Amino acid sequence: MSLSKIYYTFGPLNFTFSIMKDICESERNKLQRWGKFQLPNKYKKIGWSIIIGAFLLMIAKKFVDEPTWVKPVLRNVMILGFLMVSISKEKIEDELMASLRATSYRLALIIGVLYALVQPYITYGIESLIDPGNAELDNGYFQVLLYILLIQILFFNALKRTS
Amino acid sequence: MKNNLKVQRAIKDLTQEDLAKLLGVSRQTINSIEKNRYVPSTVLALKLSKVFGITVNEIFELEDGN
Repeated sequence: MSLSKIYYTFGPLNFTFSIMKDICESERNKLQRWGKFQLPNKYKKIGWSIIIGAFLLMIAKKFVDEPTWVKPVLRNVMILGFLMVSISKEKIEDELMASLRATSYRLALIIGVLYALVQPYITYGIESLIDPGNAELDNGYFQVLLYILLIQILFFNALKRTS
Repeated sequence: MKNNLKVQRAIKDLTQEDLAKLLGVSRQTINSIEKNRYVPSTVLALKLSKVFGITVNEIFELEDGN
């Protein structure tokens, strides 16, 4: 095989590999940057304030007439507060904290998924005993569970592919 | 993996807090390493070796199970 033939055969292939390598490198950098995203430590206090505020408002709304949208909005605000606490840095955010955080997210994912799988059946069982006519199996967690697990699998594969 | 961090710290007369400040980590991290609850990264191990002026192998040692 002549040198020119080798170049024309493998040249474009090398070029394609080079572009793919660049894309993978850029993808990895982006994923790692996003994976390390955290809020400053002061947001932990802000998060707890939001959670306590939303909780107090949820109690207070039981004593007054309020529009139907208030309850779901307060719940979402509370979840937002918990998210802020969850992704806020510690005062000294070092590698031990990063390791503990990763472990806690892993446990939270597994326990959360198991809870969401089992809880509707327990509720259904109790409702069946108390009021068999109105017992209903609620499968409301399906969408969020599927979404979280698919995202986790996709991110893991993307990170594995680019590492 | 075991280590003699506590001994090295005593030789240099450093408290956990002092060492933590030198390395830019929390005191809890130093305590966890000393009690073999946490295995530090290569970067932190190298920083430790720099602070004590000895090699990483002189601080950390593999055990049979590793």
